[in-house]
Amino acid sequence: MAGVEAPEIPEVSSDAGAPVGIQRGSHRPTLLEWLGMPVFLAVIGGATYFWVQSRELDSIETRVLTRDLLVTRTIEHLQLTAVSTLIVLALAVPLGILLTRRAARGAVPVVLGIANIGQGVPSFGLLAVIYVAFGFLGFTPVVFGLVAYSLLPILRNTMVGLQQVDSNLIKASRGMGLSPTMVLLKVELPLAVPVIIAGVRTALIINVGTATLGTFFGAGGLGYVVFNGIQLNRDTILVSGVVLVSGLALLVSYLAGMAGRLLSPRGL
Amino acid sequence: MTTTDPQPSTTPDRQAAGETLIELVELTKMFPGEPQPAVDRLSLSVGRGEIVVLVGPSGCGKTTSMELINRLIEPTSGHIILDGEDVTEGNPDELRRRIGYVIQETGLLPHRTIAQNIATVPKLVGWGKGRVSERVDELLGMMGMDPDTYRSRYPKELSGGQRQRVGVARAMAADPPVMLMDEPFGAIDPITRERLQNEFLRLQQQIQKTIIFVTHDIDEAIKMGDKIAVLRDQSHIAQFDTPENILTNPADDYVADFIGAGASLKRLNLSRIRDLEVTADAPIGSLDEEPAELLRRLGASDWSAMLLLDAKRRPSRWVTMGDLRRGGDLSRVGLEARALVEPHATLSDALNELITSNGGCAIVVAADGAYQGIVDLETIMAAVRTMREQHSAFYLAQKTSHGVGHDSRQDEGR
Repeated sequence: MAGVEAPEIPEVSSDAGAPVGIQRGSHRPTLLEWLGMPVFLAVIGGATYFWVQSRELDSIETRVLTRDLLVTRTIEHLQLTAVSTLIVLALAVPLGILLTRRAARGAVPVVLGIANIGQGVPSFGLLAVIYVAFGFLGFTPVVFGLVAYSLLPILRNTMVGLQQVDSNLIKASRGMGLSPTMVLLKVELPLAVPVIIAGVRTALIINVGTATLGTFFGAGGLGYVVFNGIQLNRDTILVSGVVLVSGLALLVSYLAGMAGRLLSPRGL
Repeated sequence: MTTTDPQPSTTPDRQAAGETLIELVELTKMFPGEPQPAVDRLSLSVGRGEIVVLVGPSGCGKTTSMELINRLIEPTSGHIILDGEDVTEGNPDELRRRIGYVIQETGLLPHRTIAQNIATVPKLVGWGKGRVSERVDELLGMMGMDPDTYRSRYPKELSGGQRQRVGVARAMAADPPVMLMDEPFGAIDPITRERLQNEFLRLQQQIQKTIIFVTHDIDEAIKMGDKIAVLRDQSHIAQFDTPENILTNPADDYVADFIGAGASLKRLNLSRIRDLEVTADAPIGSLDEEPAELLRRLGASDWSAMLLLDAKRRPSRWVTMGDLRRGGDLSRVGLEARALVEPHATLSDALNELITSNGGCAIVVAADGAYQGIVDLETIMAAVRTMREQHSAFYLAQKTSHGVGHDSRQDEGR
């Protein structure tokens, strides 16, 4: 209705695309859904481990494929992913909320335009530009690049998640005497959670993948293992690195998917 | 009243309606960028315990008018007076917690259980846990829904009719004196709608809320309203009166057009069988009587058939002289007695039944099924005649005593 004091926001501009990866279906994952991915990852990981064990490793291979080094690189990788995703969450969700308030209608194309640039530039190029801008290598500039690169999915999904809440519900809630803040906290955000989490999942996957490039900018991570394997022409190193990176991506995606199901409000 | 002199009331049964609970004074809404106001100086008073229906075609501003009352839309000018207090200024959220609100398709929160949905406003106004859950169970009971079964379900697990009942329960939860209902039964199939309307009217007899009800359906307006405001563009009131008077004496062509053809048939919805002064009396017999005795009684009446009742005085068969002479098991001869109506049925229901009956009349039975009387076409026609005469006389008296005709009444809203 024309005059309801509820957030009315223009459609997200089409170049921002549709929201990604929204979960549909039941909230209670079946046993297969619970266990499928962990079992798959364990099998692949185990197979890789025994394959590497069964090989005669030369001095280069034994130097790279140590437990300490792999654990350190994995932790670096997880830190890059976690810190950048948390920063993106802290930025994009409040920004998405702001942009769906009626007063901010004019700012929507501008902000989405900037976020689109972040994602539009090739990731390697983006990291390079950020390195040039920062003037030094290491953890911080890489996290900065990852944030710029994965801002859009969460921002876009937050906005779409809030926009798709039935305006009738907002009207009914306002009509019962809920203040705009209460409507946001008790109606809009809970109902947007599945879509927002889908955005978080996309951002996590992007970050796990892109963090592989961190090794070129002094931030370490599993990219070190992969590129060592390529440079030194050692399949055992390359395969170990690839299995670790893709396993990590699949695991993170699985965890985010399950979290989405458990955190989504019941009754939808 | 605290502010502006309210409009002089010409509403016919002002005395019967009791004190005014809601008063709208020259309420106006201009939307930015639109040349015409959406609602133009709407003045209306609603008495305590009344159902006032705002009815009009789409776009006439009826929903906007309703949303002005709980300030979902802030009025551009004018006043809303609730129970003597000017509520046009002040915190709108506080105001809305005092006004129940039911909308089409209910607006139930899908991620909250039925109990949580109903508890929304009581929690907002700070009721204790125990009191809230007691109230939830009480309301579900009133709606004919078993609390243990439905309390912890989610809205999507209910049927459309049940959701609408919960919507009404939620609006009544904190016991607000006033309820706004915006086409509450609009999105429901006709059979369920009919049932919900009847349930709601029965409920209203107990709860006596003051209700403003919006619909585009004149039949619903006639059925639900103690009074009806027929609106034209910009919420100008074309006529504000009781359903009977609107049907009998439409103020102008607009109202007459809006009522549409069949005003007399619609009027049949307004009276109930129990209000009929005369019901016909068919000759009555009992299944265990001697056929010869029944024959004698039927012969003595001017009816061609006799109604036989069973041991519990429930209508069983219609029998003619011929059926009785032929003899045999009385519970098998003649025609089955159908077209049963209860005293609270409307004349329209009765007419419908008697048209499809096999005896040309409907049989009135009490709630336990016991025979009470007969309604035939003549009874209904007599009732319609009486209604029409009464209203014409009433209107004549109105015009002569107040010197007020319809034209001035219709101008008040402007």
